[in-house]
Amino acid sequence: MKKNKTLVQKNTWWIILFTAPVFVLLLMFFVYPLISLTITSFMETAGFGSATFVGFGNFSRLFNNSVFRMSIRNNLIWAGSAAFLQVPLALLIALVLARQPAGWRFFRSAYFLPNVISLVALAMLWRAVYNPYYGILNGLLNLLGLDHLSRNWLGELETVLPALIISYQIYVGYFVIILYAGTLSISKSLYEAAEIDGANVFQQEIYISIPALRGFILSSVTLAVAFAFRQFETTFLMTAGGPANQSSVMALFMHRRMSAFQNGMASAVGILLVIIGIVVMKGLQVIFGMRSAAIEDAQQ
Amino acid sequence: MNRKLFIVSFVLIAALLASVSVFGGGSRETAPGEVVITWPTHWVGEMGAGPIIRELVDEFNALHAGEIRVVLEAHPEADAAEDVIRTRLAAGQPPDFFLFKLGPTTEVYYETGLLMDLTDELERDGWGATFDPGALAVSTINGEVRSLPIETALTPIWYNTRLFEEAGIDEFPTTIDEFWEAADRLLEIGVVPTSQMTGGANAWTSMLWYTHLVGSIGGPDVWDRAWDDPAFEEAAGIMKRMYQEYTTRDAIGAGPGESSAHFMNERTAMFVNGPWFVSNIRDNAPDVHAVTRLAPAPSAGDYHGHQVGWLLTSAAAAHTDDPARRDAVVQWFRFLTHPDNIKRQSLGRGSLMPVAFEIGPEDNVDPLQQQFIEAGNNATFLIDGIEAVMPVHVVQEFGQALSAMVLRDLPPSEFVALMRAAAE
Repeated sequence: MKKNKTLVQKNTWWIILFTAPVFVLLLMFFVYPLISLTITSFMETAGFGSATFVGFGNFSRLFNNSVFRMSIRNNLIWAGSAAFLQVPLALLIALVLARQPAGWRFFRSAYFLPNVISLVALAMLWRAVYNPYYGILNGLLNLLGLDHLSRNWLGELETVLPALIISYQIYVGYFVIILYAGTLSISKSLYEAAEIDGANVFQQEIYISIPALRGFILSSVTLAVAFAFRQFETTFLMTAGGPANQSSVMALFMHRRMSAFQNGMASAVGILLVIIGIVVMKGLQVIFGMRSAAIEDAQQ
Repeated sequence: MNRKLFIVSFVLIAALLASVSVFGGGSRETAPGEVVITWPTHWVGEMGAGPIIRELVDEFNALHAGEIRVVLEAHPEADAAEDVIRTRLAAGQPPDFFLFKLGPTTEVYYETGLLMDLTDELERDGWGATFDPGALAVSTINGEVRSLPIETALTPIWYNTRLFEEAGIDEFPTTIDEFWEAADRLLEIGVVPTSQMTGGANAWTSMLWYTHLVGSIGGPDVWDRAWDDPAFEEAAGIMKRMYQEYTTRDAIGAGPGESSAHFMNERTAMFVNGPWFVSNIRDNAPDVHAVTRLAPAPSAGDYHGHQVGWLLTSAAAAHTDDPARRDAVVQWFRFLTHPDNIKRQSLGRGSLMPVAFEIGPEDNVDPLQQQFIEAGNNATFLIDGIEAVMPVHVVQEFGQALSAMVLRDLPPSEFVALMRAAAE
């Protein structure tokens, strides 16, 4: 302990020197904008002109706005789908890949591929998939004799959000890679021992892999939920929040307010986005913390 | 601590931080004394304005080699280009030269002091007299001209005469009852009557249909009574019927690409757009181009023969205290808006420009563009498009309110209520 303290004291200037760039960048690109955002959220601005202090006026207008309430709801649905659909799907794929079935190297790359393709290109591709006239989805339904199920997927109130969320699952590969990396850290001997004890593959995954991947799963869920709260590009490119604002999300709502130079209201959305994000993240940590404790108790 | 190593590290880290500001700002002057004018624009590519603008830029750069250079910064999508400009203006760093839509929201650009004042320049050598006085008047705010009119919108109804003939319709309908009758006949031969769209930044095609109808019911001053005049509700009712019975399956959510593609592929028989689309249809669907005619919208009220038209595109430049830069930008402005070059832009892409130029018998005027000129001349009155009279957030809500009315089967009064709420 004493040795460590001395080491820190001895290298104080080095520590300051090497952390300074990150600290300065953090101040410039996070702390300063956050302070500025907070101040602007209490102002009413008309374009680039003077700003008037309006207290919580912008926040109250937001909560009275049905499109904003719809946007919050949609962000929560996106977050839920990230935690309960995307990450479990990624976990399933990672566990299968970890068993190294035939062609696993190809599939490992294939799942990750969409993450390196332009988001705009993929959005256009999905728009084509969902097109009611020439889209492959309706084409497939017609081929199967299910033409009564064919829809204007991105143009109907009931289907637009599920269609967007499903299209977003193409990015599952990002979490597959994280979770697959996690599976590499699990000792093979655990599986061998379980096999000798008569555990089948399913039991091995449930009682060995998943508990061992707890940290990786938490990281993946945290990231996936964070991405869900930042959701903008897919919605903007595929539906622009429509139809009838049914697929609007908070970031898109904020972008629209900014386009109209309603900077005070846009900043208020930004602040709420940060607050809701922090609350959800903290909630996840608590839930996973409790779950971890419960598993540890059970193991003891 | 190794003092030398510490100093070297300190210098390296300082250099790293300094590079962020140096390279982040970009380099403007590439040769000593050369002024570079960067123009972020969607007027790029191989269609529409792209080829002629590139040609003009190359010519200008060759004329001023080593002194002035215009650099096109490509943003192929119009809405994205507009966002870039807005963001840069909001950050207090306007682009050297840019195009924008002058309207109730963007009027604030004038108040920022970020735009170059061209008022005095226009009075020199009769430059200002080359512009259409009406368009120049729209560009004059508080006695200052900080943007120049570049392109005029005129958006009649486009219709496919071949499909009309096949359906047994001899003439474009002049009343709304005739319109419904014609629409039914088109449906009978398997043609969808109208292209519509609620997508994009402003539900362009449908917004124009709606404005035609509002003008027909409420007259030339109807926007002065927005959203209180019964015309807005009545026109919404007609739009609802068009969406429910006479448009494509993908109209809700469709963007300008889908909407125009239906017309160009003869899936629909009627469409609304401006003259800038002439070169697109001529190059991509020549058969349809040959059978396309223009008409005023059918009368839905007391007025008929009007057109939806307004100043669509304006050009502005960043204010500068550097006389050399200001002079360079003004030279570029003058070159771009010179009647000869305006003529090339207009004939090259079919657009209507607010600068007068002579057309001789040797000039190859596109027949469809000729129809646009006639449509403008024959119009009983012009009514502004929504984006010329409403703030951006109201324009953005149009497509959403329209889809809400259609999908939720709301009465037209609810559509008007949604628009009014957006405007408040």
